Amino acid sequence: MLALIEITAYALQILLIIIAIAIVVHKNNGTIIILITSFSLVTASLYVINNAPDVAIAEVAIGSAIIPLIYVISISRQREFIVLDRAMDDFIRKTFDKEGDGYRLLRDFSEYYKLELNISNDPELCNYDPDKDQVICEKTNVDLIIQKDEKTGEYLLKGKDSSVLMHKLEELASNYPNIKVVRFKDGEFGD
Amino acid sequence: MVSSVIKHGFLILLLLFLFGVFYFTMEELDIMYDTFAKRYYLLNGLEDTASMNLVTGIYLDYRLFDSIFEAGILLIAVSGIIWISKHDIEEHNVHFMLDKFKTPDLFVMFARVVYPLMLVFGFYIIVNGHLSPGGGFQGGAIVATAILILYYIDPNKDTSTSFILSIEKIVFIIIVVFAMLSIFTKGTMFTNPFTSSDAGVQTIYLVLMNVLIGVKVALGLWAIFTAFLREGR
Repeated sequence: MLALIEITAYALQILLIIIAIAIVVHKNNGTIIILITSFSLVTASLYVINNAPDVAIAEVAIGSAIIPLIYVISISRQREFIVLDRAMDDFIRKTFDKEGDGYRLLRDFSEYYKLELNISNDPELCNYDPDKDQVICEKTNVDLIIQKDEKTGEYLLKGKDSSVLMHKLEELASNYPNIKVVRFKDGEFGD
Repeated sequence: MVSSVIKHGFLILLLLFLFGVFYFTMEELDIMYDTFAKRYYLLNGLEDTASMNLVTGIYLDYRLFDSIFEAGILLIAVSGIIWISKHDIEEHNVHFMLDKFKTPDLFVMFARVVYPLMLVFGFYIIVNGHLSPGGGFQGGAIVATAILILYYIDPNKDTSTSFILSIEKIVFIIIVVFAMLSIFTKGTMFTNPFTSSDAGVQTIYLVLMNVLIGVKVALGLWAIFTAFLREGR
């Protein structure tokens, strides 16, 4: 006959396996954070059952307080897509009856990845350094810069080469003849 | 089927090797599993270290040498994270831009209530480390969590990461020097420097060491948070 404490320990271990599989299977980031938190809470109670309260306190403090908060910060950082508009014409501008090609493209793009689109034309955000031929963004981390090529009339979307989102943007932009996506290495972009 | 086996043959070999190692280790377990150290600590731990919590007694007295390197590992990890996130160390007064409208009001409200309680609980665990479960590392982590919650309450809080890092380094040096003091009193390094057998006197060393380790851990985790908060924008 098993004692109550042993039954609890077995139940918690089975729960641990279920949570571990759920963490791998789930797709929603918020749910995964909650699952990781509950995983370390269950682990901590198993430590207490095995007479290791010191380790349990460390597990609770690190696993269910610090790690989820760091994950929340990192994920909330990545949800915004910041675009700097330097063309300043009807390519982006959204009027009452008509919206520009660029705005439509970026809206489709941000809806596909569920990002929050933030278009700014504040000239102080980034400044162009003519000596080194690169754009320096000091105040914020701009994801995309829109510029107009005066000779050909093409619109250039300048993004980082390291960003995984740029491939999808190129795919979407191939439908528009006057839009060209240019990739920059991170150093040249002026991170 | 066959091609996939050849493709993943390396992984299968590795798994078989690990299973073999595990099997042969389990066979020798009776020889390896020795309760000598456990019995020694249970018999002499309280008398030697004056610590009711034997875990604290082990990591602050018997195995202090190991604890120093654990503290050093955290320092190296923090320095690595700050270095990878590529921010200038001289950068001052960075504005944190945690979006206030994205943080739920309920969370901010509860954080205001919980914040002082967490601080007090963290300090309690640090100071009481030799009597009850806990110690410098656990209490420092709780204090660091309370500090992190402060950034949710006040998103415009300014912090200088270089200042935090330099204090952490100074505290680490103090820990090493304090651990080596026993060479003057007992002739060996990395143990309790007080020669008196009175438990009250020996406790001073335990509390001081726990407080130093707690401060160091809290500052190190705080520096990690600032690196993460500054990343992105």
